[in-house]
Amino acid sequence: MIEIIGVTKSFSTDCSEVRAVDDVHFTVNRGEFVLILGRSGSGKSTLLGMLSGLTRPTAGTILLNGMDISELSDDAISELRAKEIGFVFQLSGLILTINALENVMLPTLFCPDYPGSDSRAADLLTKVGMSERACAYPSTLSSGEMKRVAIARALVNAPSLLIADEPTGDLDEATEQEIMELFRQLNREGTTIMMVTHNSDLIRYATHTYRMTQGNLIKSDGALSPRLTLEPRTNVNDKVSS
Amino acid sequence: MVPVVNTGKWSEKITAQLNFFKLVARNIANRPYRNLATIFAIAIIAATLFSAFYLIGGAQESLDAGISRMGADILVVPEEYSSAAQTVILMGEPNSFFFKDAGFEQIAGIPGVAKASLQIYVGSLAGQSCCSAPVQIIAIDPEHDFTVSPWLKENPGVMLGKDDIIVGNMIVGDIGSDLKFYGHTFHIAGRLAKTGMGVDMAVFMRTEDAYVMADESPVKAVQRVTIPRGMVSAVLVKVDPSASPTGVAEKIRTQIPGTKTITPNGLLNAVSVQLGAITRLLYSSMLAVTFISIPLLAFISAMVANERRKEVAILRALGAKKTYVMGLMLAESFSLAIMGGILGICAAMVVFVGFEDLIAFSLKIPFIAPPLLTILADACLTLVLCIGIGGISSLYPAIIIARSEPYETIRKGES
Repeated sequence: MIEIIGVTKSFSTDCSEVRAVDDVHFTVNRGEFVLILGRSGSGKSTLLGMLSGLTRPTAGTILLNGMDISELSDDAISELRAKEIGFVFQLSGLILTINALENVMLPTLFCPDYPGSDSRAADLLTKVGMSERACAYPSTLSSGEMKRVAIARALVNAPSLLIADEPTGDLDEATEQEIMELFRQLNREGTTIMMVTHNSDLIRYATHTYRMTQGNLIKSDGALSPRLTLEPRTNVNDKVSS
Repeated sequence: MVPVVNTGKWSEKITAQLNFFKLVARNIANRPYRNLATIFAIAIIAATLFSAFYLIGGAQESLDAGISRMGADILVVPEEYSSAAQTVILMGEPNSFFFKDAGFEQIAGIPGVAKASLQIYVGSLAGQSCCSAPVQIIAIDPEHDFTVSPWLKENPGVMLGKDDIIVGNMIVGDIGSDLKFYGHTFHIAGRLAKTGMGVDMAVFMRTEDAYVMADESPVKAVQRVTIPRGMVSAVLVKVDPSASPTGVAEKIRTQIPGTKTITPNGLLNAVSVQLGAITRLLYSSMLAVTFISIPLLAFISAMVANERRKEVAILRALGAKKTYVMGLMLAESFSLAIMGGILGICAAMVVFVGFEDLIAFSLKIPFIAPPLLTILADACLTLVLCIGIGGISSLYPAIIIARSEPYETIRKGES
């Protein structure tokens, strides 16, 4: 589904060049729940930005469903993003001037050929347990409620990939668990999820875990969390960046 | 795709629709304070622009009507009173001046003169029942006159008989009612259409009646008025179609020393000079307001755009194209410009409808309200300019925001 081949992202500063992502290779298959762990500044969000086409790699190729997104025009990437990628941000990123239901419907404006968007938006709100707050404005919602609305919004165009960047970073432990259970349920229903976080406790929800350090991606050894033993893990200790 | 069970409940319960225009409307409605500031700024621009257009259009309209009402190609007046005569015609400030009517016979005989008609100007006393300020009494010879007579022909049944007066549009008094000047009672026979010029504050009567009024004034009036026999204030001349008004005017000045000729073109020029100062002031105000407002609005737009950087980045992340985002921001600016423009135009109209005469009087310009079509055209032009100003001032911030790196913006916004 996603194939990342030798992707590098460099930034020039006044006195040096910083490689935020350094020659990363890896593959995500349909139906996987991939978790990328890493400290702040390790390059994990930059990697997500490139995966979604919001920022272009300095070198390398990113294939989404066989299509090289680094070759696409900005408009084509926008269309692809609207149809194929759902986003959940750390601070939910809801638009404050429209209500919860309208926020969920928002991505349908950019994917106008998607049928039945309004009823689907309403049903998604029900699914995330926010049906009673459909007409509420974001300023009246709690962090957890906003996150639920954001998840419903990310799913409204039925994307093949859900990208979540620190989605539980601002939540308390109980709400974090609720949100992660929701992600797990979505994954079990067939949604491919890529999530970055600095919270190693969350690896139990993932099917595949990676660690990002100084721009390099390493498959997790499972020792990051004792809970890892409760979940089946794939190969460990393989450095996938060359 | 995530399987979602559509229960049908929501479709019945909530029929929300979201589209581009609704998004624009919500963005405007839910940011009331800063949008009101923008609307108010644009309303000031619109009011200034529309006022300038309205005043200039009204002055031009008034000049056309006034010159047409004068009906003459040349006005001959005593040399020393030429500027007073212009003031009488343009602004209706009353005055009395005379020269020997022997000149009238001479003028009528000059080649190229088709018709000539004399007029006598007398200022009324202050505090007449018709008006708070003195008005200009103009005595005419109905047989030769071509200032009021064409209007009388257009209004059959209205006669200028003994002690009848035709009043200008601004003179108070119903048709059929009486008005006293210097103690003599006159009967209002008709009212002229508004011209915005001096004729609106004038009263036309027969020369014979003016003489009677003057003769009776020592007994009937608190102040005597003298109209010397054998003297006139002005001679109005209609030129042969084959002759040039300028050439005939030159002959009159040469053959009758001590006279000055005023032509409609000359009058227009005189007004243009007077109006020019006002016009320059109005255009300068327009330019100043526009040039000050563009950077001001651009500053507001830039602040708004900067504040909305994260929102725009989120829209981009959700799949909005750059053109969509720019369109959204420009549509909001245009909507605010239209709202501000309409508000400014309406406010200016309310002021003009309420205080039109006071404004024209204060600016010392001839003025009547322009026709509805001209007002609509001015309003449309003002709106277009407001939209242009709104668009220009928000274009650059919109481009910058649309081109910014969305993911970086979102990340920065979250940190």
